[in-house]
This record gives sequence, structure tokens and C-alpha cells, in this order.
Amino acid sequence: MPRVCEICQGAKAILRRPKTGQSICKECFFRVFETEVHNTIVDNKLFRRGDRVGIGASGGKDSTVLAYVMKTLNERYDYGLDLFLLSVDEGISGYRDDSLETVKRNKEQYELPLLIVSYEQLYGWSMDAIVETVGRKNNCTFCGVFRRQALDRGALMLDLDHIVTGHNADDVAETILMNIFRGDIPRLGRCTEIATSGDGYITRSKPFKYAYEKEIVMYAYFRKLDYFSTECTYSPNAYRGYAREFLKDLEAVRPSAILDIIHSGEAMQVASEVKLPSQTSCERCGYISSNRVCKACVLLEGLERGVPQLGIGKSVKKTQDLLAGRTATRSGRAVDVVHFDKLRKHAQEMRHERCTGCTCDTSAPGT
Amino acid sequence: MCDSVDQSEHPAPRQARSQRVPGMCIKCKTAKPNVSIRLSLYCKPCFVKAEIFKFRTALNKSRQKANQHGTKLMAAVSGGPTSMAMLKLILDFHNVGRQGKTASTAFASVTVGHVDESALFPGCEDGVQRILQAEDVEVVTARLEDVFDSEEGLELVEKTVTPGAVRDKFVAQIVRQNPGVSPRERLKQLFSGLSTATNREDMLDSIKTFLIKKLAQSCGCRTLLLGDSGTRMATKVVTYTSRGRGYSLPFEVLAESQWGDIAVLRPMREWIAKEVAFFNRWTAQPSAVVPTFTTGAPAKASIDRLTESFIVALDRDFPSTVATICRTVTKLQPQDDAADAVHCLVCGMPAEAGAQTWRNRLTVSDVSSTESEGPVAAGAKPEPEPETKLAAGGIDITQRLCYSCQNLLHDAKPGTVLPEFSTHRYQTSDAADLRKQIEEFLI
Repeated sequence: MPRVCEICQGAKAILRRPKTGQSICKECFFRVFETEVHNTIVDNKLFRRGDRVGIGASGGKDSTVLAYVMKTLNERYDYGLDLFLLSVDEGISGYRDDSLETVKRNKEQYELPLLIVSYEQLYGWSMDAIVETVGRKNNCTFCGVFRRQALDRGALMLDLDHIVTGHNADDVAETILMNIFRGDIPRLGRCTEIATSGDGYITRSKPFKYAYEKEIVMYAYFRKLDYFSTECTYSPNAYRGYAREFLKDLEAVRPSAILDIIHSGEAMQVASEVKLPSQTSCERCGYISSNRVCKACVLLEGLERGVPQLGIGKSVKKTQDLLAGRTATRSGRAVDVVHFDKLRKHAQEMRHERCTGCTCDTSAPGT
Repeated sequence: MCDSVDQSEHPAPRQARSQRVPGMCIKCKTAKPNVSIRLSLYCKPCFVKAEIFKFRTALNKSRQKANQHGTKLMAAVSGGPTSMAMLKLILDFHNVGRQGKTASTAFASVTVGHVDESALFPGCEDGVQRILQAEDVEVVTARLEDVFDSEEGLELVEKTVTPGAVRDKFVAQIVRQNPGVSPRERLKQLFSGLSTATNREDMLDSIKTFLIKKLAQSCGCRTLLLGDSGTRMATKVVTYTSRGRGYSLPFEVLAESQWGDIAVLRPMREWIAKEVAFFNRWTAQPSAVVPTFTTGAPAKASIDRLTESFIVALDRDFPSTVATICRTVTKLQPQDDAADAVHCLVCGMPAEAGAQTWRNRLTVSDVSSTESEGPVAAGAKPEPEPETKLAAGGIDITQRLCYSCQNLLHDAKPGTVLPEFSTHRYQTSDAADLRKQIEEFLI
């Protein structure tokens, strides 16, 4: 006998919901999945009407589903948001070039404007070129540090108020566990925040913070969304791999474990005597930094000088102090890294232009 | 003490003492090593001395913080390796203190508190009793089934409302227990009604915590030693996090915590399981095998079992893992509202408000109620769950349960009767509520 959907009690159940174990039909699955994301957005007051919101789009499952759901919810609940797709091209052939093709198709499918910023264009170095210089060992450090900044640069080019990323519940739970294993107290305190505004110029948030990875895949599958699925060709993070595997096992033992870990993480309060670094801005590029020279500029300096180890490992702080007050080394490859003040000024001009005659607040974000 | 021995036997200059001699014991540098602990090599005598020193340092540090001097002490002993090692160490420490060398450090007395788990694990108790009788110390024992001694019980009548409804409801009623059923039977029924090994472990933790605290109180002990090794504590931190106990974690797994007027210390916290095993072997300290629900089961049998095998494996690859996790948890502090929070009927730990609302917003199972919701500007938090009035003696206990124990009871069969401490906690908190309402009129 076919089972009946436990939610609508009408249609035939065709899937078992990973989060709750309920047998439900396709339409009810779409509805509960979308509603939970909507609840996350509403309960955390993520957006204001009129916000310009960039969706960090990689072409992978998380961001593709995010773009689709954001568009759907924006229309259904009349959020009044201007949505954009924002992609970073790290320059990894056989991986990012293919996935960016997917993003370009998504642009047409969802009728959303798209901006692609590339490492090559911003820093003069693609990831392929970086790996050629540093090898396979610490390349993820470069990619991570550069991506963070690249997204903020892209956001200023589009004059966005907000960036949403496709980080899901599994990612958050994994990060909580990893920070406990490594004893990273400041990060343990921060990693459960759904939106961050302190460490960048533009608010960033994770509307999928409570969405299970399995359900995102399921959603993409049943909605027949066009996404790209391959692992990055360069080595994955080994330590995160441990946490990931453990989390998958936990989920198998008790499906609510992922949500339970996030619940635990949110309730954990870091003792106030734990010191958190104070923030200033980088004297070279103007990006927010806990030192006079930001990590990205140190890494770049290392690449230009041909000593890529410069920004890696425990000596970074010393290097950062050493580089303070000096001008950047330039090799033949170097491009002018645009100063954040310039980007901000440009964003402000764009806002003025858009708002001629209207009375809204025209100060650019981050000022 | 280890250092002083070193100095008399090997009067080496200071720098030389801190340097390692390749292939030799890290302490005496003259003997061939017998064991490797966290990448350091030790010979047998130096290892034993170092462990004793470590125990005493940890104990004294904790006592100083908890300001517990000259009190009566209870050591919680299950009979397993870590608690037996702890018992040996604390008795040695106490006896040395009594002999007057360091009189100020002695306790008024040392008593062993033991929970007899034979109702759930038949046959495990004989070995433990034999070992404990061989020690020269007073032993007081509570049995697991003692939590079902009372005539009244809190019975779950209906736990989940029909599928598709907005909320899980936890409804209970106070029932008179059938006198024909023994407490032992009732205990067994409780555990068979909890569908998974994870839930059983969770419940057993709560019951044992309650019993050992009660034992300490009835003996007038104001200091309680728990034999949690570092490995065990790290496992607990991760297990409790995975069960959703983040809110009460700072109360449950610290080096020192306060259970009412009892100071709880964990002086074995800096030992990993391997150190315990070698210490017991080299000091000829016997211990028993204390079974659990997942003894001999594969790793995925329960959260606790899975976490344990994960932590042990991770600590093998990254030898500082256990120590790091234990240190992480000391940096956590309770939320500001935890002091006034309701205490969970099942585990007795502070339960945060609105736990169920949080879950319901994120595991929606009613699509009809979402249709009419307004735009984002409405953005207000949903109203707190109202305490539903129920007919015929039914009590909605949802708000009296912590997030994690809601998980636990979510899978429990209707008809499950909770231990008497749940009834007691329910009744006392009810009285406290009533008192709060009329408080301003009391003279």
C-alpha cells in the first residue's frame, strides 16, 4: 500500500525527510523547506525592504538552490529585495571555468544580473598560477583569504547592502565541532552567528544555516535545478574531513544531531576574559585587518617576491609587523590592487546616482 | 615530589635537566623508557611518580578554587579503571595527610559512593563489590531502581500530537504506581520504552547523577570527586554538544562545578585513558569492567559510543586533542539567564526558555499555517508557546524539559513512567511558581 504524506494527508509520500524522518510528498517538501528558510530570514531580521542583496554563486548545489529559493521567497513574501548573482573566479581550470558556465545559465534562468570578479583581474594571480608557485600544500590558505576579500570587492562594485552565501547546517555544525577540537575559542563564539557585519564592509549571512545538506540536494533534484557538482581539483582540507565524516556518522545515529549541535553552539557563551583581536584597516589596500598589513597583502607580497611561505604558518604576525610602513614589492605580473577607499567612493557615487531626487539615506555601506 | 627525587639522585645543572636524552626516559634520563605518553617517553618509576604528582596538583588546584578544606569527601566509584585509580590516589593522599606530614591538606573523611547498576546490567556488580571490599574504606551504595521507590510517578500520556500538527506536545499525568510491580521492574520498563541506545545512555546519566548527588548529601559530604579522565571528559563535551546540551554544558563538564551545596571536582581530568591503564597495571590496582548499553557494539550504536571511538582515533593522530577539548570547555560560561532558568524535569539541569519554539520554526510540519504570513517587515519573533490547559489531570510539561530531554522523550513510548525525581521536581517547581505569584503579599 502506498504511504500517504504525513503532512497533507492527501498525496502519496515519495521521500523520507532527512531532518525529521517524516514520509512526505514532493509539494510538501518544497513547502516546508522554503518555509524554514523564510522563518530563518524573518526571525533573524536579515533584510530590510529595498536592500540590494548579492547571492554568492559558485554554480554548486548550495548556491544554486539558494538563488532559486531567494528569488521564490522574495516574490512570495514580497521582501522587496534587489537580487544579484556574484561569483568569484579563482582561476582553477577544469573546475571553476565549468561551474561558472552553470552560473551564467542560472543568470538567464532566474533573470538575475551577474557579476564575476576574478583573482587574475583583482590580484594578477589565478589559483592555477599560485599552485604552480606554492605547490599543493598551503594553496587553500591563499584561496580562502583572497575569496573573502574578492566577495567584498565585488559587493562594492555592485553597491550591495548584503551578501548571502550558501553555507548550510552541515557546514555550521562541522565548524562548531572543529573549533571545539582545535580549541579555537574566539571562532567558537563567532561561528554560529547567522550574520556578520563587524569583519567586512557588507553584512553577510547564511539563510541556509539550518538547512540540511541532504535536503538541499533533494530540493535541487526534485526541482530539476541546473547545478555543477565536482570537488575542487586542489586538495581538500584534511582536518575538516575528520569533522565532516564524524558529523555524517552522527547524523546516521540520530538525524536531529546536526540541528542539535547548532543549538548547542548557539547556547555556548565564551567567557568574557577571552581576548579578541582589535580591528583596524590595512595600510596597503584599506581592507579590514587585525594588523597594519592585512593577510591578503602579505600573501601577495610573498608571491611577488617569490617567497610564498611569507604569509603561511605561525610567523605571519611577525611578517605583518615587518612589512608595515613599506611599499609593496612588484614583479612583472603585478596589477594595481584597487584600494578599498576607491571602491567605496565609487559605490557611494552609484548610490547618489540611483537616488537622485529621493530622500533615502545615501551613505554607502561600510562608511 | 618527582622533581625533588630527581634532584637528589641526579644533581644535574638546570638546562641539562630540561633537555631530552634521545632514547631515554624524559624525567630521569638514565633508564630505558617503558611507555610513550603524548610523544614523551617515561620509565616505569618516573611514570608512576609523575602521575601521582599530576593528580595531586589537579586536586589541590580544584580544592583551592572550590575552597573546600577539611570537608567530608565522597569519591564516586563505579569500579572501572579510572575511578579505581582515583580511589587509590585519594586514599594515599588522605593517609599521608593524616600521618601529619601535611595535615592541613587532609579531608575529614573519605567515603566511597557507588551506584549499583545490576538492575540493567545483571552480573556486573559482584566483581565491583569484591574489589571495593578489598579497600580499607567505607562504601555506601545506591541502586538504580531506588529512583522508583515512591508510589507516585509521572507518566507520559501522549507525546506527539497527530502528524501535521504544529507542535510536539509532551503531556504527562501523575499516577499511582501498581504496588505489585517492583521498582526494579519499573526501571526496566522505563529503559525498554526508550527506543534508542543514545536515549538510554542519556537517561542513565541523569539517574546516576541524581543518585550520586543524593548519596553525597545523605552522608553529609560537601566535596564529591568524579573519576572522569580527560578522554572521558572530552568525549562528554562532544557527546553533550551533539545531544543539544550546549546550554547546560558549563555546569556539567567543568573541572570544578557546584551541584547545590556540593563542590564537584574531577581530579583525573588530565589523564588520558592510556595513562590510567598503565598506572593501574604498574601499581597492581585491580578494576572491573563496567558495562554500558553499547559495550561490544559497533561504533554507530549510539552517539556516546561513536564519539568515544572518534576522540580516541583523533587523539592518536593529533596527541593534544583530548587536552585541547578539555581546555576549550573551561572557557565557556553559562548564559546570563541560566541562573533563573527552570530546571529540567528529567536531567535537573537548567532548561532554556523557548527551546521548542526554536525547533518548531526550523522543522516545520504544518504547511497551512504558513500561507497567510505577512512580509518580512512583520519580522517579529513568534509568541512563546502557551501553556495549554488540559483536561483530566494532564499536564503539559514541555516547558519543564530542556532541549535535549525533549529529544529524549520525543521517541519515548506513551505510558513511560519517569523516575520519582521528575515528579518531585515538578511538584517543587510548581510550589515555587505559586509562591512567586503571591510573594509580594507575604509578610
